[in-house]
Amino acid sequence: MSRAEPARSAVYHRLVVWALFLVLLLPLAGTLLYSISTSWSASLLPSGLTFKWYLALWSDPRFLTAFAQSLLVCVGALVLSVLLILPLLFVVHYHFPRLDGLMNILILLPFAVPPVVSSVGLLQLYGSGPMAMVGTPWILIGCYFTVALPFMYRAITNNLQAINLRDLMDAAQLLGASTWQAAFLVVLPNLRKGLMVALLLSFSFLFGEFVFANLLVGTRYETLQVYLNNMRNSSGHFNSALVISYFLFVLVLTWAANRLNKDKT
Amino acid sequence: MSFVSIQNLEKTYAGSPVFKNINFDIARGEFITLLGPSGCGKSTLLRCIAGLTPVDSGRILLDGTDLVPLSPQKRGIGMVFQSYALFPNMTVAQNVAFGLRMQKVASQDSRSRVEEALRMVELQDFAARYPHQLSGGQCQRVALARSLVTRPRLLLLDEPLSALDARIRKHLREQIRSIQRELGLTTVFVTHDQEEALTLSDRIFLMNQGRIVQSGDAETLYTAPVDAFAAGFIGNYNLLDAESASRLLERPVSCRLAIRPEAIALSLDGALDGQVRSHSLLGNIIRYRVEARGVELSVDVLNRSSADLYPDGQRVSLSIDPTALREVA
Repeated sequence: MSRAEPARSAVYHRLVVWALFLVLLLPLAGTLLYSISTSWSASLLPSGLTFKWYLALWSDPRFLTAFAQSLLVCVGALVLSVLLILPLLFVVHYHFPRLDGLMNILILLPFAVPPVVSSVGLLQLYGSGPMAMVGTPWILIGCYFTVALPFMYRAITNNLQAINLRDLMDAAQLLGASTWQAAFLVVLPNLRKGLMVALLLSFSFLFGEFVFANLLVGTRYETLQVYLNNMRNSSGHFNSALVISYFLFVLVLTWAANRLNKDKT
Repeated sequence: MSFVSIQNLEKTYAGSPVFKNINFDIARGEFITLLGPSGCGKSTLLRCIAGLTPVDSGRILLDGTDLVPLSPQKRGIGMVFQSYALFPNMTVAQNVAFGLRMQKVASQDSRSRVEEALRMVELQDFAARYPHQLSGGQCQRVALARSLVTRPRLLLLDEPLSALDARIRKHLREQIRSIQRELGLTTVFVTHDQEEALTLSDRIFLMNQGRIVQSGDAETLYTAPVDAFAAGFIGNYNLLDAESASRLLERPVSCRLAIRPEAIALSLDGALDGQVRSHSLLGNIIRYRVEARGVELSVDVLNRSSADLYPDGQRVSLSIDPTALREVA
């Protein structure tokens, strides 16, 4: 091999990365441009720039309601999953480590069944009778909880395995801490990273979820994605503004979470 | 009366005994070591004393009170783990103060005790650091300070040196011993490293397959192993079966024979002929593999000068100190 080879391959690698970046960014850039153009149909470039679509969007009460409802459902599902999964993980890893194998299979189930299929089942089960919840946000919170489960479980499990849970618990208890004190003062602060990653992943995923929201609740409790779907016949500029707003919101959230997650030194 | 008394301790896991019929006493201020290969039950025994693993039956008396019904929080025992088990979210000072915080010791008092403990392990300048900013040896010293600051009645050390590199291990070993002597702390140390056990302990309990095979001071364990396991685990004994031993000594031997490698001397003329097969330099000692009468033996010779070195293949004579021969079961 010649000495020029590594340099050439480095250029090639860079090219691939930039090309990929461009391919991924192009639709977004197009949408952004479309959302701030007055009209853009017969010409190569938009005829003028404006923020009126954003103004229209952010002053539409239906949009604001959908946005708030999406937030509420996602946060509700995530709070529920934190409250249930954290203690569950703790018990599995501290007391019954052998259950981890079973849990790994269980948490894959929400992935194994396509949302369209499981919606049909959920509609059957919760459509009528004592547990009639279809059309209410409650069913969405419950459903989103199962969707978030794999993300939460995996991310927190990795974190738990990295901190040597058993020795930390044992050390804390020998120093006089009760199980609760040990869990809250020693284990929980060290799960912050895994928890943040899990929450962020799940939130971005759930915030953009459409199938369950549309099939189980639809317009009776309109979420962001359902709203977007219902607005598909209105102006494309308006919809682009919606998509960009949604994207920016998730971006800012990710950035904020990363900032909070920085190691203190 | 002994300070710690372990009586008929028994533990079964998944149907098979981890250890049973464990009995021993420890005097106040004594440093004892549980030595044995991995899986011999020594770590489980230590965890049982700490209360982290329940025992099936038996009693653990500490200063006259039975610990078995007490939770680990109430036993007044300090423990150092192989993995350090420092709390990553807390600074060194917060780690050390944790036990005092749980005991609700006033902050003024707590601060001075933390300072004192850190000074003892020579880490007073590291109080504000986080564990991930420390080396392995420093982490383990913090862990030691953390377990000492609550003034435990009994200190348990679970292979505290195993994760460290050789030089630091030796230094920390001496530090642990001198702190233990200074505080007069009754200590149980668990290790699989015979050198650690021999250099540190007042007494050693050699364990194998869930029972104590032999106990005694380092001298006794080293020079008088009770059985083949003890001989094989401590020192680098040559273990010969009856047939080889008879052939080597030219007299009938009815059981297995253990010969320490330093009890055999090599010279150029003597009665017992042999040939050097290989040699390795262990610093101040040269370890030869010598074959004599169809038996291969390890022979340790002090490394005085390179002129004395026998090359591989050299014909030599062996003389074996007859008082150093030990018949083992």
